[in-house]
Amino acid sequence: MTALAQTRSALGDAARDARTAWSRWHTLGAAVVALAALVPAFAPAWVHVDSMAAAFYRALAATGLLLAVGLAGMPSLGQGAFMAIGAFAVALLTARAGWPLAPAIVVAVAAAACAGVVTGIGVVRLRPVFVAATTWILTWVVVIFLLAFPSVSGGAQGIVTPPVLSVNAHYELALALLVVSVLATAALTRGRVGLELRAVRARPSAAAALGVPSARRRLGAFVGSAAVAGLAGGLSVTLAGVADATEYGPYRSFALFVAVLIGGAASALGPTVGVVALAVVTGAGGVLAGLEGVESARFNPMLASLLLLTVLALGGEGIVPAVRRYLPLAGPAGRAAAAEPRASPADGGGAVLAARGLSKRFGSVVAADDVSVTLRSGELCALVGPNGSGKTTVLRLLAGTMEPDAGVILLDGSALDDVGQRGRALRGVVRTLQTTSPLSGLTALENAAVGAGLHSRDGGAFRTLLATPRARREHARLQAAARGSLLDVGLEWAADQPADRLAGPEQRLVALAAALATRPRALLLDEPSAGASVSDVQRLATLLARLRADGVALLLVEHNLRLVRAVADRVLVLAAGRVIAEGSADEVAANDAVRAAYLGRQAL
Amino acid sequence: MSLALQILVTGLAAGGVYGLIAVGHSLVYRLTGIVHLAYGDLVGLGMFTTLFVAAGTGPVTQQTAGGARFLIALVVGLVVCVAAGTGSYLYAVQPYVQRGSTIGWVAAIVAIAFAVRSILSAVFDKPGYVFPDPLPFRDIGRSGFVTVAGASLQVRSFFVIAVALALAAVAGFTLDRTRFGRGLQAIAADEEGARIVGVPVDTLVAVAFGLAGGLAALAAIVAAPSGSVTAATGAVLGLKGLVAALVVRFGSPLRAMLAGLALGVAESTIANAHLGSLELGPAYREVIPLALVLLLVAVRPQLEALEGEE
Repeated sequence: MTALAQTRSALGDAARDARTAWSRWHTLGAAVVALAALVPAFAPAWVHVDSMAAAFYRALAATGLLLAVGLAGMPSLGQGAFMAIGAFAVALLTARAGWPLAPAIVVAVAAAACAGVVTGIGVVRLRPVFVAATTWILTWVVVIFLLAFPSVSGGAQGIVTPPVLSVNAHYELALALLVVSVLATAALTRGRVGLELRAVRARPSAAAALGVPSARRRLGAFVGSAAVAGLAGGLSVTLAGVADATEYGPYRSFALFVAVLIGGAASALGPTVGVVALAVVTGAGGVLAGLEGVESARFNPMLASLLLLTVLALGGEGIVPAVRRYLPLAGPAGRAAAAEPRASPADGGGAVLAARGLSKRFGSVVAADDVSVTLRSGELCALVGPNGSGKTTVLRLLAGTMEPDAGVILLDGSALDDVGQRGRALRGVVRTLQTTSPLSGLTALENAAVGAGLHSRDGGAFRTLLATPRARREHARLQAAARGSLLDVGLEWAADQPADRLAGPEQRLVALAAALATRPRALLLDEPSAGASVSDVQRLATLLARLRADGVALLLVEHNLRLVRAVADRVLVLAAGRVIAEGSADEVAANDAVRAAYLGRQAL
Repeated sequence: MSLALQILVTGLAAGGVYGLIAVGHSLVYRLTGIVHLAYGDLVGLGMFTTLFVAAGTGPVTQQTAGGARFLIALVVGLVVCVAAGTGSYLYAVQPYVQRGSTIGWVAAIVAIAFAVRSILSAVFDKPGYVFPDPLPFRDIGRSGFVTVAGASLQVRSFFVIAVALALAAVAGFTLDRTRFGRGLQAIAADEEGARIVGVPVDTLVAVAFGLAGGLAALAAIVAAPSGSVTAATGAVLGLKGLVAALVVRFGSPLRAMLAGLALGVAESTIANAHLGSLELGPAYREVIPLALVLLLVAVRPQLEALEGEE
């Protein structure tokens, strides 16, 4: 097939998908945008096209902020600072250095993105509370800097920028950029990167265990939001005709944050709706204040605060999601992908993962003391021991969640010293968490899709944004693989249910399905049967046996000794961090040391 | 030498106020795991409530204010801040912390900050206000200044430093030595555990937020007479207190106070610095320390890492 024919068929696919997904709400949206585009041509004199264009630029910045707040769960109060950086970059370059607008905008976006990288490197690793605190400090630092250095900011007069575009051109440009940013955000949210960001937001440790590069994903979202703010700031400054430092202070940051929240942080359209709602409320306030002859702008923060507190008091989900619940907005459901059977790891026999002399201390507590364990392909090794004997620690050391104090871990004979959790997951070493850990806010299928995305390269942010044929094929493949994993654990019926609404044992199965979807060679399971009924345990045993037959190397931490006896080829007994016995279930059960240390009166 | 002494005393006086606010921030963070982004605006609320009761919204001078009405005004300012502190907890923090919604309390508390500030700036719309000094320092020395070792020092500065250190010591003593303080420590260490052994968690935390509000009012009364104040003064003080508290990871009152003092001295040093040919000057006074703290967070993010909990 020629490249041309390939392209044509891909375009045909895209058109067909678009037709199936199209609903009357899409028609309505397109009509609204088309009408909005005609406003400057037909609007009566009392419509302020310039104010509308300015609001669209603010909505653009707010949509950018959605990446950080809504998608990555980072409550950034620094969006105004990034707008300021873009605005003053454009003002200085066009007014002082005489640059044309286009390259100045490019520099503004780059400058804001750089500032985003510098702040983000630290911020992405912080808990949300400190994301708020540090971005809040950033907002103040930028405005304090601008006010303290009139030579840069033009002081109280600001920097007057040369008029480059007409107001109507600004309006159309702002509208176009806003539409593109909303569509792009929606596409990102649905794509693999958006899925991973939602996973990181829901449960950082569970996402990391599936090999999601948490810090990199969050940094990407943060820098993306900063870059969009730089673009919005740079363009809005040429619209206003003057760069004024006080325009981009803490209040701007707060107002953008408010716009995201009142519009709805779970929707790509939310920030735009939020900006419009805020503009309507402050505009109404302005009209009322005008009747009283009061200067109205000073009441804007008050009105924004009240609006936000109202939305929070009403449950805090925002306007768009609230409307969505009352109107049947969803179009016809997309075609459900057929389940694809999980590919077996191509490997026969032999040691896969071997650990020698692992030790780990926490203060005075010895959690692991000279532990050696070998996992072979197609073999199930159970790790048992009393509570606090170090079983989970061994799992964490093997999976790279933490570094051992001493000892070496080998995968196919090569050391994994410098390979982190994600690197090990990519090489096929994956673990599940001891606590029930579905990613809340994601459906069971999406949980599994996070795991399936581990080895995916074609569904990155840019390809998703451009909806390239590769990204679309990849998306379909991930869905099919995720469905296959759910089928493996017997949860295909729950695919579209929110994972956190399932029963406890089923939530564990969802986490197991996500781990399976990564196509592991060595799977480390932490008490997968906790809370399960007898028939659930039976099904789990069948699944484990099948995985073993497929050639997966399994390590099972388990308290259910009946299950251990049924499935384990070998049993390791851990007590106070040391391996005190190793052998078949019967051998271990007959061991006096084991009886003394662990089993006591109970018989295996 | 005389310049160095002057820089040190001025810096310590400014830093004492930052330190008091840092103590409040630390207390609040350790109890609830939240950062009180409206704390500075409570300071502003304290300043302007006092002004309002003392003289309405008109201009005040050192001479017109005084006597019983000013005393009443100070008490009212204190009471309003205590109430606002407790109120901010009950209304903006507790509901969202209970729900585990960080974005919720961040939004609510910043909304409160802006609501307070916009009311203040609407009522007090002049470019700056003079806050009368509760104590007659201007009568000591040459209209409030004394000369020590060639340095001209404001008598007020010593008062501010002394009050700040004393309040930090009281806060430390309360936390370490009283039943109430030990209850707070227990909550900070393990809220669930404290609840189980019968510590009245909700009441104690609400009271502690009230005390933090009172501390904000005291910081306001101590700080405000040093210069002209606007509705945004409190917010900037709150920011600096937050920065100081962040540096010592929301540590004990004494550590928070020391961080505040260090920030104050750093600012006054930068404002007067002559490093060879490089002359920094007042414009750099606020920017450099704040930027350095942001850099510190970027370089040492393990400060408050995200991962680790399972």
